[in-house]
Order: sequence, then structure tokens, then C-alpha cells
Amino acid sequence: MLTYILKRILIFIPTLLTISVLIFMLSVLAPGDPVEKMLGATPEGEPIPIEAYNAMRKQLGMDLPTFYFSMSSKAYPDTLYKIPKQAHRDNLARIVGEHGNWPEIDKYYKNASKMFDSAYKIERDSLNPKALIKIKELSELLLIRYKDKDITRAFKKLKPHIESTPSTATMLPLYNETLQSYTTVTSTQTKWKNMVPAFIWYGTNNQYHRWFSKFVTGDFGLSYVDKRPIADKIGDYMYWTVILTLISVLLTYLIAVPLGVFSARKKDTTTDSVLTTMLFVLYSLPSFWVATLLITFLCQPDYLNWFPPYGIGEVTENTGFFEKLGIRAYHFVLPLFCWTYGSLAFLSRQMRGGMLSVLRQDYIRTAHAKGLSGGKVIWKHAFRNSLLPIITIFANIFPRMIAGSIIIELIFTIPGMGRLLFEAIRYPDHPMVFTIVMLAAFLTMVGYLIADVLYAVADPRITFK
Amino acid sequence: MFWRKKLTEQEREEKEKSYWSYVKRQYKKNKRALFSLYVIMFLGVIAIFADFLANEKPILASYEGTISSPVLKSYAVGLGLGQWPVHFQNVDWKKDVNYDWVVFPPIPYYPSNLDFECNFCSPTGEQPGKTTRFRHWLGTDDLGRDVTAGMIHGTRIAFMVGIVAMGIACFIGIFLGSFAGFFGDTEFKISRIRLVLTLITAFFAFFYGFFARSYLIADAIMESSLSFMMTMLTSIGIFVGIIALVNLLVVPPLKKIPFLGKQVTIPLDIILTRMIEVIVSIPTLVLILAVVAIVEPSIIWVMIIIGLVGWTGIARFIRAELLRVRHLEYIEASTALGFSRFRAMVKHAIPNALSPVLIAIAFGVAGAILTESILSFLGIGVPTEVITWGKLLSLARTAPQAWWLAIFPGFAIFITVTMFNLIGEGLTDALDPRLKQ
Repeated sequence: MLTYILKRILIFIPTLLTISVLIFMLSVLAPGDPVEKMLGATPEGEPIPIEAYNAMRKQLGMDLPTFYFSMSSKAYPDTLYKIPKQAHRDNLARIVGEHGNWPEIDKYYKNASKMFDSAYKIERDSLNPKALIKIKELSELLLIRYKDKDITRAFKKLKPHIESTPSTATMLPLYNETLQSYTTVTSTQTKWKNMVPAFIWYGTNNQYHRWFSKFVTGDFGLSYVDKRPIADKIGDYMYWTVILTLISVLLTYLIAVPLGVFSARKKDTTTDSVLTTMLFVLYSLPSFWVATLLITFLCQPDYLNWFPPYGIGEVTENTGFFEKLGIRAYHFVLPLFCWTYGSLAFLSRQMRGGMLSVLRQDYIRTAHAKGLSGGKVIWKHAFRNSLLPIITIFANIFPRMIAGSIIIELIFTIPGMGRLLFEAIRYPDHPMVFTIVMLAAFLTMVGYLIADVLYAVADPRITFK
Repeated sequence: MFWRKKLTEQEREEKEKSYWSYVKRQYKKNKRALFSLYVIMFLGVIAIFADFLANEKPILASYEGTISSPVLKSYAVGLGLGQWPVHFQNVDWKKDVNYDWVVFPPIPYYPSNLDFECNFCSPTGEQPGKTTRFRHWLGTDDLGRDVTAGMIHGTRIAFMVGIVAMGIACFIGIFLGSFAGFFGDTEFKISRIRLVLTLITAFFAFFYGFFARSYLIADAIMESSLSFMMTMLTSIGIFVGIIALVNLLVVPPLKKIPFLGKQVTIPLDIILTRMIEVIVSIPTLVLILAVVAIVEPSIIWVMIIIGLVGWTGIARFIRAELLRVRHLEYIEASTALGFSRFRAMVKHAIPNALSPVLIAIAFGVAGAILTESILSFLGIGVPTEVITWGKLLSLARTAPQAWWLAIFPGFAIFITVTMFNLIGEGLTDALDPRLKQ
């Protein structure tokens, strides 16, 4: 038994690592610059000061290479990740794709960003406001355009604006230098380098390593929305989800197991067929439809106004315990129903099927033959061998506690994990989304692990193959 | 020899026919499953002819003596093969044109048509200014869009999602599952040199197929889905081509060197089982939501993602079946006749193992349709202008007085999903009577 559990844990680890890499890759692919998102919007579209940007970037660890290694072309610089601003980084990568000579492109980029900064340093006076706006606009284009055509056009348009007023004319030498460096880029291009593959090893000081080692210790980073630690937010939202999940699972077991056994014992009677059909219909009803129907017809003054349509009810500090319980229960009747009926039907059907296959076995006939009562045969001999579906449901509790039920929490506006996930996806608050996905995956695996151990306990014949 | 070959083919055909006719007989015994099949066929017809059933354009119209079919014409225009005549350009089809005579579809509305005189028109209530012919039979939503039309065109989207997603899932699942099942952990042997060279070339093939072309692909996504597909296909072609080239030209001569030619076993089954474990460890809906959230909202992406996540069931089915089949006599016979294992797998084992996959497909389509409607209901991943069943149902949340929005679209989802599930159960019983309880 112990070796079985140990082996099971051993294969748990590589799977977890693979999943973490997969989810990390998804988070890298998510659009937008994490640093800018964390800093939030600046007033009136002013550029974020580079010092603040770099500080936040360092704090988030975004100045590290993405992964242990990278696969790219010979033209692609291994230091590109050091360039601040994701938009610039992406654009530079494309310029490299166009021309292939990184040292020259780097020089051009430095000049262009110097020019961009100097445009913001020029004081506004009576002559230059219009020209200044244009210069700012055009010099930014140099940083976010990669096609030769676009860049050349931006250069051409820029010149008359710079020369138009005395204050802006101070930029002229810088302009000439930038133009010069761009001409060098286009004249010395080495496109072939883009066609030679390269493999770069970065070592453990990378974003994934940092993210995962922090994740293991429970540090999930900050949320984009309110810059609070994700772990704290999850802690706040988990409360109701955990409570609802636990009640729902308890109800499922209390109703489904006896129902399944009852149905199996009454096999081939009308009771059984009615029950089976009802359970099938219940099982097939999409919960978001049922929830919508219930809220439309049972919670509105237009039809029946029996239940509150949303929320978890308001309680103050001096509400008595039973009163509080009553308010909560009143609010939770419908959500709990929607939360439970699907797995209830599923478990009953499984239970019935499992029981039926056991009841056909010879040892059950033997038990009957030696004169045991029907109930004793069922609960002492058959039940243990049809435990497997019960364990399967049990394994699903853990991920449901963290991921919640997005639809039901959304429809009934319950402040739980499902709602948190939904809002994070809508915002989009990527660190939150991927943390929840990762936690859900981790807990699913823990659930499977526990289930596998329980299977082995319930049925000694199961061994690790 | 010619007649002999023909005869064996005939024999095989007959055998197949008898097996399938047996399955058919078994399936027909199950009245529930048969009924479900008819319902799905009916819905399929609605999906195919949605444009003729609910459309703002007339099916047939006579204008100044010339008879034309604007619905058919719209297909040609959509494909860029024709243009609207001047009198049909940018018109309100019901009011602006003086037809000689005209035949409108049964539901003379397109799902996106706005009817400002009729917001939240109830199917049972008064509908101002509507004759019976132009009545909104199942009501309208907040913008006056016809629910019947939305339901009919929603059928098309639901079926498309089910079919495309399951197509992708089938492709991946059958491919991976059959290799893992047929060769197991011990029977897939390749020479050292082939293993090493394939791994190295895979790196290069990936580089030239995808990395060096990544900007081409990115630009193609921006352009159109057609050019994206073409660029992707070229990339896949380059990838497969490079690997195939090395395997066909470089490996055979090097294999003759004893050290390099030594066989190594690759445990395909373990690899597949681990892969499946990784996928099923992430709760499906959560994974799909997270992936959908990082791509542009598009129904195509929804299909692709559901397919990419949903192949595990099919792979499991075919793996289990091939594990059973691979040591049967007819496979051994094919080996004894000197055919390669690979040929035995593709020509003999897989065709015989495909029937249980049908079960997985039926359940899979149900799951895919349900997932799509959940996504539309949540408003994640599906563009706002696309009218689907889930989208219609979600409108009911904002307008509790519109009971018709709560009932009809949800009923459509329920029926379709249930019918596919029943077909799946029917197939399970028909294909393996032993499983019947």
C-alpha cells in the first residue's frame, strides 16, 4: 500500500511541472504589457516615466528571460528581454525580422528613444504647440513601426516640423543622428541571419523559475485590478464557495446514494423506470438554463416572488445566529439546488449502475441463499464494492472549491471564486486568471491522488500498474 | 489476379455490411435512441437550410419582370462571385423594393435585424403593426431582434461548433490513441539514429516551419481567416516535409552502421497516458475560459480550443480498443504475410476499432455544444454580434419580464444536448450488447 501511494506521488510531480509550464506559456501569450497594466493608466496618455516603468519591471521580475532557454534565430538578440516596454520589444523583434542586424538596430533604437524623450523635454512656448504635438506623435511612430516604408515616411514628415520653430530646432542634430543610424540599418542588413536557428541557455534565473518557486510557497503575485496580493483576494472569495460546495456535496451523498441503491433494488419495476427517466432528465438539464428559469419565474414580482433573486442576504453584527442562518438559507435555496442536482443525478445513476453489476455477482446470490436479510446483503456485501462512483465524486470536491461554479455564482451574484474568475477574465486580470487555473489544476490532481488511494483502500485488488 | 482481388474486396464489403447492419438493427431496437437520431437529423436540416428558413431577403422575387433568388444570390456575393444589382443594394428588403411578386422565407427576419417598433414583443401579446405573416412568433429581444430567427441560425452555429470541434478532436485523438494502443509500451521500436535525427530535425523543422515564418503567420491572422489557414497549412507542410525528407533520405543509409542502427523502444502508451493526465487535470471549462480570454473573440477560436481540449475521450476509446485488437489473429496474419506493423495498424486495426469512437463522438458533440452555449451565455470568447442560443438565454437575465427569452433558447440547448447524449447511449448499447444493463 505504502509503495503504491509513493509511486502515485512520484508520477504526480512531473505532471504538475508540465501543467505549470503549460499554464505559464499561456500567461506569457496573454496580450498586453504586464508592467504597464500593473502601473495602471497614466493621465491624458502621457508616457509612463521610464524610471517608474523599470522599477515596476524589476519588482515583477519581468526583466528576466522568460524561460530556461530560448529558441530563436541568429539575428535575434539574446538580450532583447532587457529592453523595457513590451510594445518596443515586439517592434524591435519585427525590425530584426526585416533587417537582421541587431547591433545597428540597437543603436538606431537608442537614438530614436533619445529623440522621443527629448521631444517631451522641450518646454512649450507660444510658437511650438502644434509642431510639438506632431513631433511627439511621429517620433513615437519610429518606436512602434517596423516596415521600412512607414519609418521612412515618419522621418520625412518629422523634418519640417522640427525645423519649423526655434525651440524644436534644437532636436535637429539628434534627428540627423537617428536618421543616419537608420540608414546604416537598411544599408548593412543581414537578412540571412534570420534563417539560421540559434539556441540560447539562460539558466535558472528566469521568469518561469521565479513564478513557480514563488507559487509553491504561496506567493501568487499581485492582481491588476487593485494591486492586492492574489492570495489575500482568493482567501476572501473562497469562503462562500467552500461552504456551498461542502453543503452541496453533503446533500448529493445523502440523497443520491440511497436513491441509487433503492433504484437498483427495484430494478424492472415502474418505480425504477420513472426514477431512472427523471434522473436522466435532471442530469441532462443544463444548470445555467435551470438557474435562469428559476430566477425568472420564482424571484420576480412579474411572476412568483418566492425567493430573493440575488446576493447572499444582508446581516448586521447584532443579527442573532439563527436569524442569520435563516437569511442565508433563504438566499441559498436556489443556488444550492442548481449547484447540486447535476451531480446528484450523476451519482445516483452511477450508484445504480455499480450496484446492479455487483448484485449480479455469485457471492450476492450466496449471501441471499444463506438466509441474510435483503438490507444486510445490500449494505454489508454489495455496498463496499460499488463505492467507486462515490469516490469519484469526492475527488471533484477540491477543484470545485477553488474554481467554484462560474455560472451559478454569476447568475445568483454570490461573491465566490467563480465570480472572481469571471471578473478576472473580463477585466482582464491575467495573474488572477492563471493563478486560479493553476490552483484548480493542482487541486484536481490532489483529488485524483486521494481518489486513487481510496480506490485502493476500497478494493484491495487495485494495484499500481 | 484481377478477378481474385475484386472478389476479396467484395467479401470484405459484405462482412462490413453485415456488421454494420447488425449494429443498425441493434440501434433501431432502442426507440429512445432512434427518436433522438430523427430529432438530430431534423435539427441538422434546419441548420443547413437556416438561410432559407429565416432571412430578411426573399427566397424568390420578381423585380421588373426578372425573377431572382436573393437568398442564393447572397451566397455568391459572400464568396465574391457576384454583385447585387443596383435596385437591391442597401435596401430594406420588405419596404424599399417594389416587387412584382415575392416569396419571403417562413420567418422573414435575419437574427441581426433590428425592429425598433417591437422591443421585447411577447409571443402571446399584441405586436403593434404586425400582420400574421410578419409576426415574431417567439417574441423579440431588447433591440427587437426576432428570437425565432436567432434560434434557427443558432442551430447552425451549435452544429458547426459540435462538428468542427469534434473533427479536430477526432483527428488528434485517433492519431495519438491508435499509435499508443497498437504499439503499447513495448512494440514501437526505431533505430537510434532515426530517433536522434528526428528529434534534431524536429527542432529545425519547427524553426523553418513556424519560427522563421512567425511574422508571416501573425500578419495572416490580421488579414483574414482564409489566408491564415493557407499560411498555417504551408507551415505545417514545411514542418512535415523536412522531417519526412530526413527520414526517407538520410536515415536509411546511416541505419546500416550497427551502432546507429540499434533499435530502441519508445513507450508510446506511457507518453500518451501522461499527456491525457495533464489535460484532464485542468478543469475543462476553466482551461477553455482561460485560453479563450487571451485570444480575439471569434467563434472559430472557440471551435478550435474546444477541439484541442476535447480529444482525450476519443484517444482513450481507440487506445483501449486497439490494445485489445492488436494481438488478434488477423493482425498476426497480416504480419505473417510480411506486411509492416504500421500497415497492419492503418489498414486493418484502426478501421475495426473505429466503431466505439462513434460513442465518444456523440457524447463529445453534446459536450462541445454545451460548452459553446456556456461561453456565449457568459459572453466570453464569442463575439457580441453573433447570435447563439447561449447569447439569447443570457439576455433573459437582464430582462426578467421576457419569459420567452428564458424558455425557448434554453430548451433548444437542452434538447440538442440530451438527444446527442441519448444517441451516445444508444450506440453504446448497440455496439456492445454486453454493456447493456
